[in-house]
Amino acid sequence: MQRDVGSLPLAPALRARLVAAGFQTAQEVLETGPCGLSKDSLLSPEFWLQCTTALGSFENLIVSSRNIEIGISKEEALEALQVVRQECHSDATRTAGAPGTSRKCTALELLEQEQAQGFIITFCSALDNVLGGGVQLTKITEICGAPGVGKTQLCMQLAVDVQIPECFGGLAGEAVFIDTEGSFMVDRVVDIAAACVQHCQLIAEAHQEEDHLKALETFSLESILSHIYYFRCRDYTELLAEVYLLPDFLSEHSKVRLVVIDGIAFPFRHDFEDLSLRTRLLNGLAQQLIIIANDHKAAVVLTNQMTTRIGQSQSTLVPALGESWGHAATVRLIFHWDNNQRLATLYKSPSQKESTIPYHITPHGFRDVQPPAVTQNPEGTEMNPRKRLRREEEK
Amino acid sequence: MAAKKLRRARLSQELCERLSRHQITTCQDFLCLSLLDLMKVTGQSYGNVQKLLCKVSLACAPKMQTAYEMKVRRAVNPSSAFLSTSLHGLDKVLHGGVPCGSLTEITSPPGCGKTQFCIMMSVLATLPISMGGLNGAVIYIDTESAFSAERLVEIAGNRFPAYFDSDEKLFSMTCSVYLYRELTCGSVLKRIKSLEEEIISKKVKLIIIDSVASVVRKEFDTKLQGNLTERSNFLARGASLLKYLAEEFSIPVILTNQITTRLSNGPAIQADLVSPADDLSLSEVLDSSLQSHPLVRLPKNRLESSRILLEICLAGASGGRKRESGCVTAALGNTWSHSVNTRLILQYHDLPTRQIRVAKSPVAPFSTFFYTIEKSGFVLQDGKDQTNLTWEGTSPALQNIKVRNTALKDLLPDAALPRTTDETPSNASSLQKGKCNLD
Repeated sequence: MQRDVGSLPLAPALRARLVAAGFQTAQEVLETGPCGLSKDSLLSPEFWLQCTTALGSFENLIVSSRNIEIGISKEEALEALQVVRQECHSDATRTAGAPGTSRKCTALELLEQEQAQGFIITFCSALDNVLGGGVQLTKITEICGAPGVGKTQLCMQLAVDVQIPECFGGLAGEAVFIDTEGSFMVDRVVDIAAACVQHCQLIAEAHQEEDHLKALETFSLESILSHIYYFRCRDYTELLAEVYLLPDFLSEHSKVRLVVIDGIAFPFRHDFEDLSLRTRLLNGLAQQLIIIANDHKAAVVLTNQMTTRIGQSQSTLVPALGESWGHAATVRLIFHWDNNQRLATLYKSPSQKESTIPYHITPHGFRDVQPPAVTQNPEGTEMNPRKRLRREEEK
Repeated sequence: MAAKKLRRARLSQELCERLSRHQITTCQDFLCLSLLDLMKVTGQSYGNVQKLLCKVSLACAPKMQTAYEMKVRRAVNPSSAFLSTSLHGLDKVLHGGVPCGSLTEITSPPGCGKTQFCIMMSVLATLPISMGGLNGAVIYIDTESAFSAERLVEIAGNRFPAYFDSDEKLFSMTCSVYLYRELTCGSVLKRIKSLEEEIISKKVKLIIIDSVASVVRKEFDTKLQGNLTERSNFLARGASLLKYLAEEFSIPVILTNQITTRLSNGPAIQADLVSPADDLSLSEVLDSSLQSHPLVRLPKNRLESSRILLEICLAGASGGRKRESGCVTAALGNTWSHSVNTRLILQYHDLPTRQIRVAKSPVAPFSTFFYTIEKSGFVLQDGKDQTNLTWEGTSPALQNIKVRNTALKDLLPDAALPRTTDETPSNASSLQKGKCNLD
């Protein structure tokens, strides 16, 4: 209520006029009301009548008189008041501590939320273990890697895995795939999706439960492909535009649980003379993606390139886009080669330990190096659906 | 899309005028500003500015399509998805051939067959769709002056003798291959930018650039400071232009690349600004090794033969750089490896057999095939183990490439031109002329 007028989100000109007219706090503006946003008129009633006939209507006179006094029209005044009222109301709720639309909750509530929400599995159990169950929702995961190591493969695998029905341990969600590099090949997604459907069919046959069979009817190749929403962004302008429009898109398609941006580095790595602009744009993007991830309970997966850092005695490959971009992602995975073996390292995570695991890319998609040992694991119910999948994994 | 004027984004006229006073005329400028800047510049409130942002974003954002729609489109028109290479094993592994709409790179040591491959693909692209071609024209940007029209005709006549049975057919095929000789980076970029109209007017279905590396390495000496970033910028710009063309018109783009030596022992040589992960310019290593080599007096037909000399040096003969263990990999650095979507590596095996490896592909696993170069172009060896599919490979940017390992006596041929009934590819095209000269 005591908020300074200069900090209100009004049009700058309007703000300047209010300040010039002597209003200092939002409360004063609210108390005055639209009609009183001008000072007392010094003109006599006769003059007003003459001006009325001249100007054609009383309305016009009021408007112009107000324009003379403070220089804003009635509509502008009304709009300004609405904005001020909204701001004060949300300020008040924030200070009063009412939950409402604010993002405040206790750690216990967060814990329950985190335990209840699922993960997006990657079909590579070693990687899932390292990540603590899979790719987490409401967080940004970044995958960095050398060319050809499998980043796009993992993204395509995740876009299929997010759609696995809940009875098989999945999230039954949909996926948005934003492609900036042009590596998305539909034929490959068809292969991966076919393998996934086959996998679920094997489980259903083994367990013979009714909900499994019912889920399988809707979980087919066509439905998987129809729920991957693909955008091809050719430069950073299109990428920025798309991310601006993404919240509306996600509100329309509320089942989307995964947003993949394949190649966030590519559009920003050339033709940028102004590096500070690039940093600002990237930070803005990161902010928007965090908001999207939280509001829509989706996982955001980004892929990044590697660049060479020339050091004193030798050079190393480091993730591209600079040091400050490293803060944008919550979880960072680095894929790299060790002679002939592909390795994945968990480089940054708030809750899991750093470790490196090997993985393979097979015609069926992203897989473990060897089939994992079958163990009876008496942990919480959350583990069981994934255990079922692993037991039947074919190699 | 970025350069779209704001007027066309359906903003009001006065708003556009107001913005143009601040030098904001395109959507790109608009979207690059922060919200506060936008409020100041447009004079609108926060909520209004967000609505404006939405409007401008809608004008710029790409259209959504589901993966299913893409699949259906490809199924309906399969010829628009791949260009078959007419090498059966390779096509099978690549799910049809060279993919349309993305960049494919061919890398090899000199004389392995890059230009031969490009010439062969030019012939294939002009074939009618019923024969696996794309029934269109070819744009061939040649930076090394290696293209030989005679070879083009020879491959066409020998590979598809039933189709090219008359001179007219050969003639019309050669009419659809448009050759551009560009010798500098700037002219190559200018040519790529001008391609859009040509593609539409000439109904082009294949773009070949042979080779990207030669023109880039001539002009950018990575030892000089700043050249490395300029080179990466140039390459990235070229790659994004080509990708745009490839996707817009759904055509394949084939680029060729050269090799470089990657030293694993750190920058022991003078280039202290160049890291091992970037490539050295072959010329500086070449110069020093050429001084000490007895064969330096041989006349060189092309630049390539001097590179063969280099390889001899590296492969075991005495050379100044022998102390470092180096491996030969694709040139142009790490960033370029990210930009291309598919990478095929040609390398030497036991002469005359060579190997073609799929080193990077979104759809294919690592696989190798053996081939030779005949009159009809590439011929896969069926005799060898056809299921050469391996799950092992390594980073496409670091894949070790086998160079030619012949003994010195085999190199003297420039003067003698021995027993070569099947052409050794290093002089394949010039061989024709060579034969005439020496007979």
